[in-house]
Amino acid sequence: MKNGWNGKVLRVNLSTRTCAIEDLNMAWAREYLGGRGLGSKYLTEEVAPETDPLSPDNKLILVTGPLTGTYGAANGRYMAVTKSPLTGTIASSNSGGYFPNELKFAGFDLVIIEGKADRPVYLKIHNQRAEVADATHLWGKSTNETEDMILREFHADAKVACIGPAGEKLVRFACIVNDKHRAAGRSGVGAVMGSKYLKAVAVRGTGGVGVADAPAFREAARETFRMLRSHPVTAEGLPALGTAVLMNVINQSGALPTRNFQSGTFEGAEEISGERLAQTYLKRNKGCMGCVIGCGRVTALSDPRWSGNGEGPEYETLWALGAACGIADLAAITKANYLCNEYGMDTITAGSTVACAMELYQQGLVTEAETGIPLTFGSGEALVRMFELIGTGEGFGARLGLGSWGLAESYGVPELSMTVKKLEFPAYDGRGIQGMALEYATSNRGACHVRGYMVSPEILGVPEKLDPQVTEGKAGWTKAFQDFTAVVDSAGICLFTTFAIGAPQVTNLLNTATGLNLSQDQVLAAGERVWNLERVFNLKAGISPSQDTLPPRLLQEPLPDGPMKGEVAKLGAMLPDYYRVRGWDEGGVPTAEKLATLGLV
Amino acid sequence: MIRVQFFGLLRLLLRKESVELPSEPGDTVGRVLERAEKTLTGPIIHKLAAGGVLNAGTIILVNRRNVLHLQGLETPVNDGDTVALFPPGAGG
Repeated sequence: MKNGWNGKVLRVNLSTRTCAIEDLNMAWAREYLGGRGLGSKYLTEEVAPETDPLSPDNKLILVTGPLTGTYGAANGRYMAVTKSPLTGTIASSNSGGYFPNELKFAGFDLVIIEGKADRPVYLKIHNQRAEVADATHLWGKSTNETEDMILREFHADAKVACIGPAGEKLVRFACIVNDKHRAAGRSGVGAVMGSKYLKAVAVRGTGGVGVADAPAFREAARETFRMLRSHPVTAEGLPALGTAVLMNVINQSGALPTRNFQSGTFEGAEEISGERLAQTYLKRNKGCMGCVIGCGRVTALSDPRWSGNGEGPEYETLWALGAACGIADLAAITKANYLCNEYGMDTITAGSTVACAMELYQQGLVTEAETGIPLTFGSGEALVRMFELIGTGEGFGARLGLGSWGLAESYGVPELSMTVKKLEFPAYDGRGIQGMALEYATSNRGACHVRGYMVSPEILGVPEKLDPQVTEGKAGWTKAFQDFTAVVDSAGICLFTTFAIGAPQVTNLLNTATGLNLSQDQVLAAGERVWNLERVFNLKAGISPSQDTLPPRLLQEPLPDGPMKGEVAKLGAMLPDYYRVRGWDEGGVPTAEKLATLGLV
Repeated sequence: MIRVQFFGLLRLLLRKESVELPSEPGDTVGRVLERAEKTLTGPIIHKLAAGGVLNAGTIILVNRRNVLHLQGLETPVNDGDTVALFPPGAGG
């Protein structure tokens, strides 16, 4: 096919060790595009909402978008879609690199993995040939070792997505690492892979990706490149400093969650900032395939205590392993980041879970007898040690591996878990950025920033500056950001392009690639369709609208310091308005009329 | 004195975290920027504003308050204030 999609699905049953090629459901592709949308459609059609996420009945869907693998800008993205073992919600975790394009070059749009193997296996895909191979020798290996071994025994030019020891041990926030340093990070998608005894997916593809109108697509891609190369964020800020440029911005804005959200400013922010990283361990920047931004950080750690090479830390990691734990030790954070990549675990939840444990220790609920080391806020040594324990599943690490909700609940204090729907917050305090508070409360995978990045208008002033403490109008903005982000996530391009380009450009790329003739409103409606599809699945899975809330700390404990001192998250002032602009009833349930409009009934 | 802090690209370009300038009567953010630029090795204003208007994504904080919610480049600056300059940057 020559319209962005390959038109092929690879279905792999691990229980029977069979691989089958099916035609892509084109009606679904036109409605849900690809990536997060199309993957969610397949999942909701094939997996019952009440399914145990770690059972063989759950499925793992690796899905590209129609723009993945094209020469449109920053197109190297895919999604891992499944039911999350961390939250019980629908999960779709995004990653870039080279693996996603390779899936397209092999001729597939998505891979559906079902059942469970009886011993460790990995999936080998060489163009249209697929095979389930033994992986006993890979079990227990780090993500780095796994990829190296697969490249040696399968194909030197293959691209690999795999789990590390954390995924094997069903750490609830295990991720899937591809190309060694990129991760489908959130929601524990790596644990689903581990539950199926699937160690890796290795792909070698030598085909191309056709588009419907090549001259028009080329011009659309050129326009995108021009905008990315002329916008100060994508042309200068992200390449030079990566996402970590945010550390000082968010800290000075009083919204940097510190010591498990006990405050909103961190005295050590400078020590863990992008500026400091650029002066110390940063070697160069790096992009995913087809990317002109290059936000990736190639680093080398040299410190009397630790050394190593790798990629990162990026902003969320610097925060979760740094400010959230009160740690201003950049070497310890960088080392702990490398451990996350090698064990294969989400840095945000890993760091936030240790931060939660540090508060439990502060309160005397967790003792040194359990942890083997003083678990004090600020201790980089304790952070590194706890990550080693999580990754190997030893001792206290087994409890940390449940995530902060499971951990705090086991001590009888779930309110100390800084989560929404059991997913840990990222690096922005909703008390200081009200639209983010609403986004966290309503995101379909829990407290997530990349479902509707209200930080952009409320703090960064892109596309225009909103007052972060004003609640009026935030519901409409949040919905618009959420719907547009769902489009981007379904198209197969990087969210960071949207600092420079907007809905007109994404619509143009999609239309010229697919041959569809969608209006901008129809494209945004596709995003709204995806959002509602996810919502309906969650409701059926038992995630009631009462969980559209925030921890008591954010709703009731005012920020104690900084420019946002005295503020709490004013969720009650925004949530009813949000339900209204979504076309849902007052209880937060999508109305039959809304679902009909979106073609969901 | 007025403390002017540099972040992001400005810090990399200037290799300097901050400068201190004597305050003058009637100081505004715009006037402080012009005076700061004269004391530095490289121009800074073009990274932040054009034609008297802040570039999209530029963040200037006076005592941690965004000037876009105050009076923009006309925001008054007083002795002892801190002006933080962030050229456009983002992440997530």
